[in-house]
Amino acid sequence: MMRNSIRTILLSTVVAVGMIGTAQAEVNVVTWGGAYAVSQQKAYGDTWKGETINWINYNGGLGEIRTQVESGAVTWDVVDVLPDQARTGCDEGLFEPLDRGMFVPAPDGTPMDKDTMNTAPNDCVAPNIFWSYLAFYEEGTFKGEQPSTIADFFDVKKFPGKRGIHTWPNALIEMALLADGVPIDKVYEVMSTDKGIDRAFAKLDQIKDHAVFWSAGSKPIELVKSGEASMSLAYNGRVGAAVLNEGEKLVPIWDGQVVEEQWWVVLKGAPNAGAAKKFVAHATAPQQQAAQAKWISYGPMRKSALALIKANEPWHHSGVNIMPHMPTREEVLPRSVFADPAWWADYGGEISERYTAWMSQ
Amino acid sequence: MSTSPAKPGGPVLTADGTPLKTSLERSLKLSKLRALGLIVPPLLFLIILFVIPIGSLLTRSVDDGLSNKVLPKTLAAFERWDKTSEPDESMFEAVALDMKAADKLELSKLGTRMNYEKSGWRSLLKITARGLNRVEGPPYKPAMLELNKRWGDIKFWQSLGAMKDPVTLGYYLKAVDLQYDGNKNIMRVKKHNRIYQMLWWRTFLVSLIVTVGCLVLAYPVAHLLATLPLRLSNLLMICVLMPFWTSLLVRIVSWMVMLQRNGVVNDSLVSLGLLHDESRLSMMYNFAGTVIVMTQILLPFMILPIYSVMKTIPSSYMKAAQNLGATPALAFIKVYMPQTIPGVGAGCILVFIVAIGYYITPELVGGKDGRLIGNLIAYHMQNSLNWGLAAAMGTILLIAILTLYWVYDKLVGVDNMKMG
Repeated sequence: MMRNSIRTILLSTVVAVGMIGTAQAEVNVVTWGGAYAVSQQKAYGDTWKGETINWINYNGGLGEIRTQVESGAVTWDVVDVLPDQARTGCDEGLFEPLDRGMFVPAPDGTPMDKDTMNTAPNDCVAPNIFWSYLAFYEEGTFKGEQPSTIADFFDVKKFPGKRGIHTWPNALIEMALLADGVPIDKVYEVMSTDKGIDRAFAKLDQIKDHAVFWSAGSKPIELVKSGEASMSLAYNGRVGAAVLNEGEKLVPIWDGQVVEEQWWVVLKGAPNAGAAKKFVAHATAPQQQAAQAKWISYGPMRKSALALIKANEPWHHSGVNIMPHMPTREEVLPRSVFADPAWWADYGGEISERYTAWMSQ
Repeated sequence: MSTSPAKPGGPVLTADGTPLKTSLERSLKLSKLRALGLIVPPLLFLIILFVIPIGSLLTRSVDDGLSNKVLPKTLAAFERWDKTSEPDESMFEAVALDMKAADKLELSKLGTRMNYEKSGWRSLLKITARGLNRVEGPPYKPAMLELNKRWGDIKFWQSLGAMKDPVTLGYYLKAVDLQYDGNKNIMRVKKHNRIYQMLWWRTFLVSLIVTVGCLVLAYPVAHLLATLPLRLSNLLMICVLMPFWTSLLVRIVSWMVMLQRNGVVNDSLVSLGLLHDESRLSMMYNFAGTVIVMTQILLPFMILPIYSVMKTIPSSYMKAAQNLGATPALAFIKVYMPQTIPGVGAGCILVFIVAIGYYITPELVGGKDGRLIGNLIAYHMQNSLNWGLAAAMGTILLIAILTLYWVYDKLVGVDNMKMG
């Protein structure tokens, strides 16, 4: 009996070690969950001919990545990161620098770095998507005049009801200042002064007593649909998905949206770095970037990918046009703020503290 | 060693001729080694997974060696400066030379660290490091002011004071809303940014309310469990343990369904006419939500120790007390309750300690004002990457718990504690 179980243990150890051995041939791609991950699996995973892709979910943050790299036990290969992580991680040497020649150029031959709508902050990052924070409401919530600007979101007299806002300050500071009349190109200038921050919080005070706080991306739609809030901020992709996939009658307010970047990186010391880089080159090719938007309304970073979508509408897999839901389409850009990750890297910590204090007062 | 046969009067020998004493010692030593070998795995487990990580985190909470390593000349120049006049060329030169000599990776790590003292350092160092290659000095001052005008802001220079020593208490100060000024005097942080004292207080308050709530709910249940006939008490025990075995997330989500503004409780109250539709209760995503859900989740930790003590109290004591003339209530208070103290103590300390470091429940149901210190520690570990501050907060939490344990030992005596 005893000997038998020892044999079983030994055997299973051998099998487990063997499995670790074969796991080396897989690429571990770490990204966010939900419809976003599904869009990536379809657009990048299903079209990939190389090694098996292991899709892993995480909730952002560099904590886990730093632990892996500093301890030398790296198990993740490719990670989908937020703009501030893309910068801090590269600064701290957590990511592998990527040879800019490895990327697929645009159909007209433009190299990748010239084909993106923004400039890469460093050599560690590869282009992914743009998404945005925006306000939305459900059709029929308001009688008469409908909200159409970000100032309307902060105006609880004109448009009564609760407001869903998130539990961290990103985008909210920008929106508060826009609603208070700061011109779009002056937002970060104003935010860099103490007075400007005071001004943003004074504006936030106006909706404080009407605020419902959310932290999970699925919550805003729930809040608005259940009537708990009359308007909410949300990730644009969530609103898009509710409209496109579920047929909900939600109306996004594009005015004053705050556009954020999302990048791909390869971890320093990634167990399968070679294949990981090939996968990143594949996922960032214009065709794949565009294919991603068949499944979710996030804007590809590469101009050639957006052009591809525009030329081939209806692009969404359900057979409707996706462009009206794109945060990066030309019509909405003049009234959008592109979030400045460098500003947030400097002031994010301090502003988060102040926001936390403000929230619980 | 002698192999000759035993001589009368000499030491007793074993079959192979070794003296019995030596042989015995050897075999004892062997069995001791074997015993030691048996505890090696758990010992290694403890050292590798517990002592080393905690030790390294504790060192992180006071370690400030990076600034001295990367900016030695700057900090020396800072010492010579009067902290109020405009920094002169010698200070700019010190910074420029330090930065030119610095390792790129260490410099950006330092930027992150310096940003904790004064927002803006991160990009200031980055922009300067990028531009400094083209600067041929001395003089460096005009060129650096050109690179970024923040070099002319005396507040940045003053903030160096908080980083000049290789060992710092700065993280501990920050964890209670204090900070160093340029002369290393302790002062409070800006009014708008004070959150940690409030969070410590809130964490303590939530733990206390949850502990008291658990005690009030658990005591009668435990009493029932201990006194009901076996058949019924077994059923009741299953009712107590069932939620204990259910996934934490499932329980939290069920509470969300129950307590949210459009949830079961509010809907029932409104449909019964007890509540106006406009004035639905906010019991989720706030302080109340955290307290309610944590109380339910931690309840078994209170019931089980109290039950195990109550089980051992013979019912004859109560009968005797009543025979001697006490009313049932008096007998309960004077005779029964004091005997349950070890269980109550164990339950309270268990619940309080688990509650004070609670993380997942407040994260999910805490919303605007129900998040606790554990959530901030997680935030600094995962998002802000300020591991020094996270470590300092963790250490404070650890000390608080040990103190609590010590106080408990003095008051009740740990030997009296019965965990069940």
